[in-house]
Amino acid sequence: MTVLAPPLRLVDVSKSFGGVQVLKPLRLDMVQGEMLALLGPSGCGKTTTLRLIAGFEVPDTGSVVINGRDMTAMPPNKRGLGMVFQNYSLFPHMTVGENVAFGLRMRGASAAEKTKRVRAMLQMVRLESFEDRRISQLSGGQQQRIALARALATEPSILLLDEPLGALDKNLRERMQFELRDIQHRLGITCILVTHDQEEALTMSDRVAVMAHGEVKQVGHPTDVYERPRSRFVSEFLGTANIFTGTVKAQEGAAWRVAIDPRGCAEPLIAAETLQLGQRVTLAVRPEKLVLGPPKADAITARVRDIVFRGAYFAYELTLPNQEQPLFVYTQKREAVPDDGIVGLTWAPDSAVILEEPA
Amino acid sequence: MSARPGSYRLTSPVWCVPVILFLAMFFIVPLAANLARTDAPQGWFFYYQKLLYDPYYAGVLWETVKVSLITTLACLVVGYPVSYFMVRHAGRWNALIVFCIVAPLLTSIIMRTFGWRVLLARKGLLNTLLMDIGLVTRPENLADDRIAVYIGLVHVLVPFMVLSITAVLQGVDVKLEESARVLGAGRSRTFLHVTLPLSIEGIATGCILVFVITNGSFLTMLLLGGSKITTLSLLIYQQFTTTEDIGFAAAMGNILILVAVLCFIVQYALLRRRNGS
Repeated sequence: MTVLAPPLRLVDVSKSFGGVQVLKPLRLDMVQGEMLALLGPSGCGKTTTLRLIAGFEVPDTGSVVINGRDMTAMPPNKRGLGMVFQNYSLFPHMTVGENVAFGLRMRGASAAEKTKRVRAMLQMVRLESFEDRRISQLSGGQQQRIALARALATEPSILLLDEPLGALDKNLRERMQFELRDIQHRLGITCILVTHDQEEALTMSDRVAVMAHGEVKQVGHPTDVYERPRSRFVSEFLGTANIFTGTVKAQEGAAWRVAIDPRGCAEPLIAAETLQLGQRVTLAVRPEKLVLGPPKADAITARVRDIVFRGAYFAYELTLPNQEQPLFVYTQKREAVPDDGIVGLTWAPDSAVILEEPA
Repeated sequence: MSARPGSYRLTSPVWCVPVILFLAMFFIVPLAANLARTDAPQGWFFYYQKLLYDPYYAGVLWETVKVSLITTLACLVVGYPVSYFMVRHAGRWNALIVFCIVAPLLTSIIMRTFGWRVLLARKGLLNTLLMDIGLVTRPENLADDRIAVYIGLVHVLVPFMVLSITAVLQGVDVKLEESARVLGAGRSRTFLHVTLPLSIEGIATGCILVFVITNGSFLTMLLLGGSKITTLSLLIYQQFTTTEDIGFAAAMGNILILVAVLCFIVQYALLRRRNGS
C-alpha cells in the first residue's frame, strides 16, 4: 500500500524579522483537496506563513515539504503553486487572455495549448468573452475571477489565497465565497486561505487554524472551533462571546452546577466532562445561546441597556451589576422587556463552553 | 463648478495671470526675438540651410545628437539599477541615497567640472593611483578628452534619470513581481516581462530629460573636452565670442529648441497613449 505524501507539510517552520519572532515553530499537515483557512488578526503570522509556503521568505528553522519534496530552499517559480493576491495583482500592461496565459508562457506551452487552456479557464470563471479586454476595463469582481483563472491555468498542486475577497463589497464577497468554494470542490484542489474575516473562514473552509502572536491557537472543523473554542481569544475572535467566571459547586449526572461570579448571582448547569469540585472556571456563551426571560431565582439578573435591530436578528446589550464588561444576547424576534429593564438570563447546559484558562 | 463656496477663489484663473505675464516677458518675447534675428541678408532660411547642408556644421549637429544619445544610454545603464535598488531594497537608507544622488546638482558646475579635472589630469589622482599600482607606465591626460566629457555629463545627469525611473517604479506593486514569480518566471524573466514594461514610462521621461539637457549643455564640453568634442551649444558660444555671427548663433539655438520641443511632443504622445488605453 502506498501512502500518499500530504500536499503540504510544514515542519517546525519559524521566522523572525529584526529580532521579533513573527512565527513560532509551526507544524501543519494538509489533507489532499481540503480548504484550510489561516485566520487571525493582523500581525498574527498568517501572511508570513503563506509567504513561507510560496517561497517569498525563507524560514529561519524547519522545512516546507510540498508533495513529499523538501522545497524550503526552492525559489517561488519552481514550487508549482498558484496564488491569488488581495488586490489581484493582474498585469496592467497585458490583456485578460495574456494574463491567464502568463504561467503557461513561462512553462513554454505551445500556442495551441495556451489558447485551449485560456478558453477553458475563462469559461470556468464565466468570462469567456473577456479575453481581449484590458485589465482596467474590468470590475473588482471580474478582476478577482481573472486572478483565480490565472492562478489555476497552470494546474498548481496547491492554491494559495491571500485575503482574496478582501477588496470586494459585502454582497459580492458573499457571492464569490460560494463561487470560489464551488470551483475548489469541482477541481478538488488543495487550498490555503489567509483571512482576518471569521465569517469568510467559517463559510469557506474545511478546517480553520486560528492564529495569534505567531502561533496556531486551535485547528479544527469550523463548527467545532466556533462552538467549542478552547481559549478566550478563539471564542472572542470567532464572533461575540460572553465570558463568565465561576466556581464548580456540585455534579448532577453528566453536568456540573457552577456558581457564577459575583457569588450568589446564579448557579446554572454546565455540561462538561471532568471538573473538580471547588475548581475555578471560565465560561464562554455565544449571544444566540443566551435566553432572555423574566428575572427568577436560577437566572442571572441583568439590565437591558440597549436594543439594536441588525436585520437578521435583534442584539441586546446588557449589564451586570458592578461589572463593566457588557453582555450581548441575539434573538430572532423582539422579546418583551419590562419597563425597568431587569431581565433574567439562562442557557441550556450544553451551550456554555469551559475555556482552558484559569478564572 | 463652485459647489463649495470657499473653493471658488482658489481655483480662479486670475491667479495664472502673473505667471503668464512673466513667461511672456522672459520666455516668449526673447524666443520671438531670437527667431527674428535669424533673418539673414541672404534670405530667411540661409542659416538653417548652412547648418543642415554644410558638411562641417552637419557634422557638428550629428556629433551633438551622438553625444546626447551616448550620455542618455550611459545614464540609463547606470541609473536603472540604482532606482531599482532604491525602490525595492534601500528601505531606511533611501533618503541618504537620494541625497548622494542629488548632491552633484547642489554644487556649482564650475566646481564640479574642475573637480573632475583634478581627478583626471596627467598628474591627477587617478593617474597617480594607476601609476602606483603599476597599471600604466606613462600618465595619460584623461581630462581634455571625450571620456572626461561623458564622465562629467553622466555625473550630473544621472539624478534626472534616477528620479524619473524611481517615481514610476514606486508605483509598480511588488505583488506584480511576486505574481510573476509564483507563475513560474525566474528573476530575469520577471524583470523582462513585468518590471521593465511597467517602468517604461519613467525610462522615457528620464531619457528625454537627459537627452534634451545634454543637447543644451556646453560648460562640460568646454572645460573637459579639450576641443575634441564640438557640439552645437559649444559652436553657439564660439559664434558669440569669436565670429560674432549673432544671426547664425540664433539659428543654432532655434534648432536646439526645436529638438527639445520634438522630444516633449514624443513624451506627451507616449503619455497619452498610455492613459488612453
